[in-house]
Amino acid sequence: MIVLTNKSTHIPRLQCLVILCTLCGLLLCTEAVAQSVCLPAPRLLTTFPMGGQLGSEFEIVVTGQFAEQAEELRFSDPGITAVQAINAEGVAVEGRYLVRVASDTKLGLVEASLMTRLGLSASRVFTVGQLNEFVQDTGNQTLEKAMPIELNTVGNAVMTARAIDFYRFEAKKNQHILVDCAAKGIDSKLNPVVIVADAEGQDLNVERRGGAIDFQVPEDGSYIIKVHDLTFKGGDHYFYRLNVTELPEGQQVQRHATTKKVNAFSWPPDGLPAIPSGTEIEPNDSKSPQQIQLPCDLAGAFATAADTDVFEFNASKGETWWVEVASERLGRPTDPTVIVQHLNMSGEIPVLTDIAELNDIPSPIKVSSNGYAYDGPPYNAGSSDVLGKFEVKQDGLHRLRISDLFGGTRTDPANIYRLIIRQAKPDFALVAWGLHMQLRNGDRNALSKPIALRGGATMALEVVAVRRDGFAGAIELSMENLPDGVTCSGLTIPAGKSRGVLLVTASEGAPRAVTVAKIHGVASIGGQELQRRCQLASMAWPVPNHWNEVPSPRLLADTLVSVGGDEPAPISIAPRQAKVWEATEGEKLTIPLIHMRRSEFSGSIMAAKTLGEGFEKFTFDLPLDQDASDAVVDLAALKTPPGEYLIAFYGGAVAKYQHHPEGIQIATDLLQQATAANAEAKLEIARLKKEMASAAAELQVSLAEKLKAANLNEEQTAARVKTANSKLKSATSSASVKDIVDIVVSEPIRIRVHPREIK
Amino acid sequence: MVHQDRRRFAHAALTLAWWCIYVGACVGGTVGTASGAEASPVSEDSPVSFVNDVVPVLTKAGCNSGVCHAKAGGGQNGFQLSLLGFEPLEDYDHLVLEGRGRRLFPAAPEQSLLLRKVSGRTPHRGGIPLPPDSTGYRVLKRWIAQGTPRGDTSVQLQALRVVPGEHRLEAGTTQQLSAIAHYKDGSTRDVTSLALFETNDSGMATVTAGGLVTAFNVPGRVGVMVRYQGLVSIFNAAIPLGADFEAPTSYNFIDDHVFSNLKQIGVPSSELCNDATFLRRVTLDIAGRLPSGEEAKVFLHDDDPQKRAKWIDRLLRSPSYADYFANKWTALLKNRRDDASDITSNFAFHAWVRDSLLANVPYDQLVKELLAATGTVIANPAVAWYKRVKEPKQQMEDVAQLFLGVRMQCAQCHHHPFERWSQDDYYGLSAFFTRVGRKPTGIQGEDLIFHNRGTAEAKNIKTGKMIPPAALGDLVGNIAPDDDPRLTLSQWLSDKNNPFFAKALVNRYWKHFFKRGLIEPEDDIRDTNPPTNPALLAALEDHFLSSGFDLKELIRAITNSRAYQLKAIPADGNLVDRQNYSRFYPRRLQAEVLLDAIDELTGATTNFANLPLGTKAIALPDNSYNKSSPFLRVFGRPESLSVCECERVQSASLAQSLHLMNATDLKSKLSVTGGTAQKLADDTTPLNERVSELYYAAFSRAPNESETNVALEFLRAGNKHAAGSDAASKVSRQQFEDLIWALINTKEFLFNH
Repeated sequence: MIVLTNKSTHIPRLQCLVILCTLCGLLLCTEAVAQSVCLPAPRLLTTFPMGGQLGSEFEIVVTGQFAEQAEELRFSDPGITAVQAINAEGVAVEGRYLVRVASDTKLGLVEASLMTRLGLSASRVFTVGQLNEFVQDTGNQTLEKAMPIELNTVGNAVMTARAIDFYRFEAKKNQHILVDCAAKGIDSKLNPVVIVADAEGQDLNVERRGGAIDFQVPEDGSYIIKVHDLTFKGGDHYFYRLNVTELPEGQQVQRHATTKKVNAFSWPPDGLPAIPSGTEIEPNDSKSPQQIQLPCDLAGAFATAADTDVFEFNASKGETWWVEVASERLGRPTDPTVIVQHLNMSGEIPVLTDIAELNDIPSPIKVSSNGYAYDGPPYNAGSSDVLGKFEVKQDGLHRLRISDLFGGTRTDPANIYRLIIRQAKPDFALVAWGLHMQLRNGDRNALSKPIALRGGATMALEVVAVRRDGFAGAIELSMENLPDGVTCSGLTIPAGKSRGVLLVTASEGAPRAVTVAKIHGVASIGGQELQRRCQLASMAWPVPNHWNEVPSPRLLADTLVSVGGDEPAPISIAPRQAKVWEATEGEKLTIPLIHMRRSEFSGSIMAAKTLGEGFEKFTFDLPLDQDASDAVVDLAALKTPPGEYLIAFYGGAVAKYQHHPEGIQIATDLLQQATAANAEAKLEIARLKKEMASAAAELQVSLAEKLKAANLNEEQTAARVKTANSKLKSATSSASVKDIVDIVVSEPIRIRVHPREIK
Repeated sequence: MVHQDRRRFAHAALTLAWWCIYVGACVGGTVGTASGAEASPVSEDSPVSFVNDVVPVLTKAGCNSGVCHAKAGGGQNGFQLSLLGFEPLEDYDHLVLEGRGRRLFPAAPEQSLLLRKVSGRTPHRGGIPLPPDSTGYRVLKRWIAQGTPRGDTSVQLQALRVVPGEHRLEAGTTQQLSAIAHYKDGSTRDVTSLALFETNDSGMATVTAGGLVTAFNVPGRVGVMVRYQGLVSIFNAAIPLGADFEAPTSYNFIDDHVFSNLKQIGVPSSELCNDATFLRRVTLDIAGRLPSGEEAKVFLHDDDPQKRAKWIDRLLRSPSYADYFANKWTALLKNRRDDASDITSNFAFHAWVRDSLLANVPYDQLVKELLAATGTVIANPAVAWYKRVKEPKQQMEDVAQLFLGVRMQCAQCHHHPFERWSQDDYYGLSAFFTRVGRKPTGIQGEDLIFHNRGTAEAKNIKTGKMIPPAALGDLVGNIAPDDDPRLTLSQWLSDKNNPFFAKALVNRYWKHFFKRGLIEPEDDIRDTNPPTNPALLAALEDHFLSSGFDLKELIRAITNSRAYQLKAIPADGNLVDRQNYSRFYPRRLQAEVLLDAIDELTGATTNFANLPLGTKAIALPDNSYNKSSPFLRVFGRPESLSVCECERVQSASLAQSLHLMNATDLKSKLSVTGGTAQKLADDTTPLNERVSELYYAAFSRAPNESETNVALEFLRAGNKHAAGSDAASKVSRQQFEDLIWALINTKEFLFNH
């Protein structure tokens, strides 16, 4: 069933309170304690099972957060369909769906989401595979109760806290058995430890780093697989899929599909062939470097401990070459580094002179540190891969050496890389995520933010660009295929900058809908207009405070935009007129704003800041207790040059928010229905007892059976009453007024600044 | 007695400071009054060398000891000398030039402040180290009278020899030592009266300031360190017991050397222990657990002559072996929880060590993976060591002490007083760690580690010189900026010619199984602290190297030896032996092992936070569980603060006795629902069989007749209804609880013997 929880409630640590009290006074401190961060957003948290076999039908159970009245379970692949399960009475069962996986569905990961009253939820990964699926037996937490499993199957399981799951399989001597536990890569919080043991549970092979065990069976017999969390955590969010497959001789290991890290958005460069044109040939170390010609595109691997691959080539003075290496972005735990050196052979001893040292791709914007307070978004668009250039200072032989800074003691041929040396091919890659900002002292929330819009709300997406090969021009952002009533404005990523903002606005009356949208960036490069797709990233889990829990950001399959249609935004801020606001360079521009307030607020002002290149320094106090205000922009102070601008105002406001107050009535109705059913069941029992007292002997048997059924019905209806009571209590608590601080973004405002008249 | 181990730990912790400030103060008496040979006579007119004559006098008199004028931070009362005269030219400047020369008065030497102070004619808080009639006083006076010359510095000390170098010393007899200085110009000099003498085991022999050694009646080998001007030499004495006996048959090369040594010093060995004792001993030592009662019965009834070797192999294959030795190593590697967020890295690190031991990763490879670790904790748990040990100097000191058995701490500030290590050696070794790069991660306090390209070097804080990586005197060649110097260090460690690495490990493991290292303490290997059986140590080292650093093979060799399988009960005359392994030296079970043993015997389970129910105490990943377990604290489980094994307290204490007798947690274990006492009370088998079950579980043996009778009498006496009835009669759970309590409180249970 759907679990309704409000996980965003957050109480700062005592230490934080002390600091807050010291700095801000007791009043502010008390207020901070009472606030939650960010308005409820619907999230699909778990599905069970977490995958299905091609061509199969099965029931799955889902849980979510703020996912009331979810009537639809959607998958990113249309080959998978779901309908809500119906119980014996013909009533739809909350949280249960019958899923059908078409036999032509693409294998791998898809994403599932729930359509809720607040819109489409944050997604959860779902796997489509070919193997037979099984579901964990309850109670397989001891060796004696090890669950027997067949080879070439995949299991769906949920880890119990402070426990070890046991499975038993039979195998023949010399068989290769691949034991692969998927967890982090399918959105689980589990840090899996997988152990293959003998029949008595004595450990034989152990894997704790997320790898798979290639187990060569020593003798015919039974073997045990143990699975647990690295720190023995457990619970609904600690699920896993256990693949146990026989690996035929010579067949390459195929691991369970996994999600992509955020930084994978910048790979591959547009137009790159899927297969590289060459490969490294060992031994290619400094004693026998591999001869190559530029440009090149090579596949290689940091296969052995401290593996260093050296390539030698001729280059001419004045040339500039760009080097890009992908390894971490291919999902490997590596940190490639590249050194380019000139080789002087004129003396007795060859002399190598460094001309470039290329390391990480830095995050284009500052990423949140692990310090106390929010100091950047909890997304890292950078990578430990390489993207840089070298300039050839003199003609002759050069060497490029590539090594893995994390590979000093590690031997793993799976740590592959792809090395590209090319002449400049300016380009860019884009990624976006829901805007985060500091909402109160010490706030470090890392919440998944589905684009599920309330009517009248504007949501800001932060868009970040990794620029390739010297491209520095402006990038125009846009979004298409939006639901009715939803518009988007892209704030340009200015030339030389890496950050832009997309504003997605739902009109107040926007109807309930969902679409698969696309975000694009367009730039003019070499006289041609280049359009690149922008990928969307989100958190796998809502983390109220990433001081306490490390967030897990990842790329999403689709950009899903939805409108709930059930609940409006607490406030909408818009310019009084939908027009281009014109001003002359150096003047003050007054923009009248209207505030459509649909909620009470704690505090009377919002410290408003500004999104939009050239206007970031403009701040003002926006009154929350009034229906209108003026934003007076001093263009002289901002030194705004003439031009066209798109800006928006934003800030944090504390709304007096009631979550789903209608839920109380719904729960009350359910309770009444259950109570009535229970009362009826009791009456039926009384009636039957009375009838039995006076009935003839030959009728006693059938009456006794009816009484038994009536008693059972009474028990079931009593249970319904209990459940309904619990729901009512939960709904009442949920609907109580709470202070929730959220990001408020105005509708976009267009400004045209004219040149000052020169007299 | 009560706090003996605590004192040892405190002593170990303070050792460095102690050496630094105390050296010299232990030299009793004065030069002039020292008994024994005087320095070679020198005529009144012969020139006095400051370096070769004056400094040794000051050293012998204790003037440049750490508590006197070589005290850190400026010496004493404005007058500073280098520690033990390691920097004689600096000392000359301090003495002669400092204070506008006020300390010396060549026109009237006896009025010199220096001589007035040392002779007590002017108040001197350091006492009267050199009375006017002492030789040392006369040397100083002549030197001043000659105009305080620096002397001929070309005559440089090259070597120091002690004569005799070794000797068989009967108990109660004495031996006069002579210290002979050899100079580069070929000359020699008897410097006995100027040298410092110190024994490495004052319980076996003493030595006077003049070099007279007196042996006590403890058989074995004892060393006397002789020091003169930064050089040391060692006198090795074998103190025989003198018994004549036939050496037992050797099982392997270890026995050859142990019994050869025993034969040499005339100490008979005890008999071979019985199967029950062996089974319990080796299971505790390899797997950190008691054999189950069932295992004991099967083993004792097994007629296979190879059953001991087979049992050892079985233990080495078991996860308990990995758990137990991971417990040992992770404590030494400081896998300590200071913050709740440390849990992931601590669990990962512990698991990495445990898995490596289970897979029998060669020791050199294991150390290499630790020292040269890169990446993140989750991807490479060895990185967690760099979370605990952050500074290159600390990294070097820990590595030196733990993996090389060399304590380098002293050499950070001055030449090591008991070793040949200089400050350049110190900084040369720490230079291997100077290219450890760090990047912050999303986890508080956790960095990812990488090799930061560049030239590795460390600055000698005294000379200001940048010192390249150097491995304690061994050449490692130039390390290119692209190469991780830690890998070079690892290669040096695993080199077969490395004089420390394998030796330190075999000595550490030897101590694990025999209670006493061949070198004690096990992490203080130096020329001046010789092994008690050098041939055995060398043989173990060779065996370990030739096995490819195979830890299990080392344990296999040790535990298969007859020496390991000797009785703990002394044979005629070997009671006094404490270092020759003529018998097994009993030792109390470690805190974790004892807790597990009690759980096993009582049928209880200790509940440890964040771990599955049933997790053994030997499998605990870090020190955090000490806080919640009074038992582990009282019985001395270490807090993982240092790389010293001495942090683990193994001595007995009153608190331990009281805990075993009265502690609530022990009582609750005895009375746990479904526990052993309840099962035995509910059992209907004959009472003597139930008693026997208990004895097998506790001691891996059946009770003897007397023990059975006492137990039955006790059980029956406690149950009025059962009195006089047959063995199948009912006995209350309480009676069995009391019996188990009594067994737990026996020395046979508490000790590995």
